[in-house]
Amino acid sequence: MTVQTEPDQRRPEVAELEHAWHERPSLRTWLSTVDHKRIGRRYMVTAGVFFAIAGVDAIIMRTQLSRPNNGLVTPEEFNQLFTMHGTAMIFLFATPMFFGFGNFLVPLMVGARDMAFPRLNAFGYWVFLGAGSVMFISQFAGAAPDGGWFAYVPLTDRPYSPGRNLDVYALGLLFLGVSTTIGAINFIVTALKMRAPGMSLNRVPLFVWAMVGTSFMVVFALPALNLANAMLFLDRRFGTHFFDPTHGGNSLLWQHLFWVFGHPDVYIIVMPALGIVSSVLPGFCRRGVAAYPLMVLALVTIAIISFGVWVHHMFATGLPFLSYSFFSAASTLITIPSGIQIFAWLATMLRGRIIAGVPFLFAVGFIVNFVLGGFTGVMFAMTVFDQQVTDSYFVVAHFHYVLFGGAVFPLLAGVYYWLPKFTGRMFHNGLGKWAFWLVFIGFNTTFFPMHVSGLLGMPRRVYTYPTGLGWDPWNLLATIGAYVLALGLILVATGVVQAIRRGPAAPDDPWGADTLEWATSSPPRPYNFAVIPQVHSLHPVWDERSREAMATGDVLAGHRAVLTSELDGDREGPVEMPESSLLPFAAALGLLFVVLGLLWGQYWLAVLAAFAVFITLARWLWPPHRTPEEAGVAREGRAP
Amino acid sequence: MDPTETSPRARRVGGGLLWFAALGGALSWTVHLFVAWATDELACASGHTTLAGFPVKGVVTIGVVLPALVAAAALATAWLAWRRTSAAAGEDDPRMGRAALLAVVGLAANTLFLAIIIAGGVSLLVFSACQR
Ligand code: HEM
Ligand SMILES: [Cu+2]
Repeated sequence: MTVQTEPDQRRPEVAELEHAWHERPSLRTWLSTVDHKRIGRRYMVTAGVFFAIAGVDAIIMRTQLSRPNNGLVTPEEFNQLFTMHGTAMIFLFATPMFFGFGNFLVPLMVGARDMAFPRLNAFGYWVFLGAGSVMFISQFAGAAPDGGWFAYVPLTDRPYSPGRNLDVYALGLLFLGVSTTIGAINFIVTALKMRAPGMSLNRVPLFVWAMVGTSFMVVFALPALNLANAMLFLDRRFGTHFFDPTHGGNSLLWQHLFWVFGHPDVYIIVMPALGIVSSVLPGFCRRGVAAYPLMVLALVTIAIISFGVWVHHMFATGLPFLSYSFFSAASTLITIPSGIQIFAWLATMLRGRIIAGVPFLFAVGFIVNFVLGGFTGVMFAMTVFDQQVTDSYFVVAHFHYVLFGGAVFPLLAGVYYWLPKFTGRMFHNGLGKWAFWLVFIGFNTTFFPMHVSGLLGMPRRVYTYPTGLGWDPWNLLATIGAYVLALGLILVATGVVQAIRRGPAAPDDPWGADTLEWATSSPPRPYNFAVIPQVHSLHPVWDERSREAMATGDVLAGHRAVLTSELDGDREGPVEMPESSLLPFAAALGLLFVVLGLLWGQYWLAVLAAFAVFITLARWLWPPHRTPEEAGVAREGRAP
Repeated sequence: MDPTETSPRARRVGGGLLWFAALGGALSWTVHLFVAWATDELACASGHTTLAGFPVKGVVTIGVVLPALVAAAALATAWLAWRRTSAAAGEDDPRMGRAALLAVVGLAANTLFLAIIIAGGVSLLVFSACQR
């Protein structure tokens, strides 16, 4: 199906637009670009590399655990391995990867020309790159964090953890938090102010709802983690006693702050994935996702309730039963919105005409695994069960079903689904199917046996175990599974590279899907849409009136985008978009030196770099000379 | 209809009441959680069973019952808003469609939050305040 939705490329207005948005390929524009598509692709590639390194950590662990009394790594190395694997997967892979998807897709899906704050967006990427590099380089230097991904005090405080390892954790995550926070704010503002005219809240694609829900969670949850890490750093470096009970501190304070962030973070990771599934299904079922209002409800309520369940990570800390029960209630009932989504997807498939493409396979694989992970999750919501299996391999099995099954499967569905849009190339279908089956079988062979070894009493985070406890076969099976899984993931990567290098050119809308990113070319031009779409329904590409509006509307000239109202998407007027700039890169570089200065205890360097950041920001924020129209302050056709 | 013009029907349902209908349950659950949990955990941690003369359990009970009532009120409001807006759901009017969406979301969300408050509150019948 091809629909003519783009105005003729030869029209002089379009030529002028090409000129206004053109970036000459050079090192300078590579560093200074603010194009959300380039930044989004960068996020995805960088997060993919971090996924590979953290995956190698996992393979080393599994190799070590393949048989009892193995001596491949030392206990100290194993501590760093599981800590860096967990920390990197959560912070440096999952969220940045989905932010990459969001960066590329949210502006396209809402019919905008860029994110609301393009320079901030570029800054966010550079900070992410810096933070990730610092943390991984520490691993190669043998000084990686080693206190587990949630870094419980007092173990991680002085004097129990000397060395730089946990300073890297605290500072690295604080640094990264800058990037995540501004990314989230950017998504919220983009989704609220940059939607195409006519896209009222009831016409917003579910992926965009998911990114907004995620971003709100980030904005409210991350400060708790930042606070905790700042206090940890102060405790460790400057001798404060926030977490030290012998001096009036409180060590449970860390757990509270960490999990006030940590549980919402599970949904921060999974929610964009849910949005991806809701985007993939319509194209392969030939109908929109069933029960749209309930899907929105599910995303919104999950985002809220996820803040009221954190104490379920502390069911083993001896707090009063009565206070547990409030969290137990929320932890149990938060499954209802998740269940609603599952049933809506099933209904979509039942009532649609299914085309079992590769993205669809991964979406179905997700549903299977996620239901299992959700099921064991409900078991933990029962305090008594939780107290039996906490800190065993049962927990490791559970959260990999949620995190790998719930986030990586949809992610892979999304990779195949949008690859034509990201790269302009089609992938090899057979290779994709092979990859799916290897990943699906490998995943379940790796993680299902961990349920069993956990119930047999195997604790997590042990570098080895004696023979004769009944754990040996399950561990061997898990290790074999991990290798199969790795093979599947390598096939995915091969498929992507193969598509980019030799794939056939992709049509604009290869799946016949419904959202606006398919109404523009593959890959999109730098300005995304020559004509800003006028939206008349939830499925603009399937809807005659919206398509016609795009084909016949006026080209919006210049380096400009359109602002609309938050709730109803009423047109408020055009706004001049910022030009590319080196300042975001410079500011991120300055911040990197602040972090390094603090890490090495060279405080003069930190102060100097902070001053440089300040100067850069001042330069960045200095008001340019613009007319009110250019700055978007004046509104069209209305009294101010 | 001109999309920039506010229809009088939409204005009736578009104000603060619609926001109460959409988010009232969520807000009352937040208040409930903080009051009920914080009172219980902090009072028990410091070894008290009364708080400014009131028994801890009494304060927790208030922290359950009052928010539950507010959530119920939000539910009723959402139901009214839904009845007013659902009639216009088929039209191509972004405003009414959006108001109808908020009303449906409020309807379901308030039910859910009310259920959570009640499910947690029931444990008041089972546990004493600081039982561990
Ligand atoms: C690529 C396949 C993967 C394999 C083979 C794998 C394997 C493992 C293993 C063996 C452990 C250590 C268990 C222990 O010693 O206690 C572990 C821990 C962990 N994994 Fe994975 N994992 C994989 C992917 C992921 C993904 C995608 C995520 C998250 C998005 C993730 C998050 C975690 C976390 C948070 C921990 C806990 C670390 C800690 O105990 O501090 N893993 N994983
Ligand atoms: Cu949790």
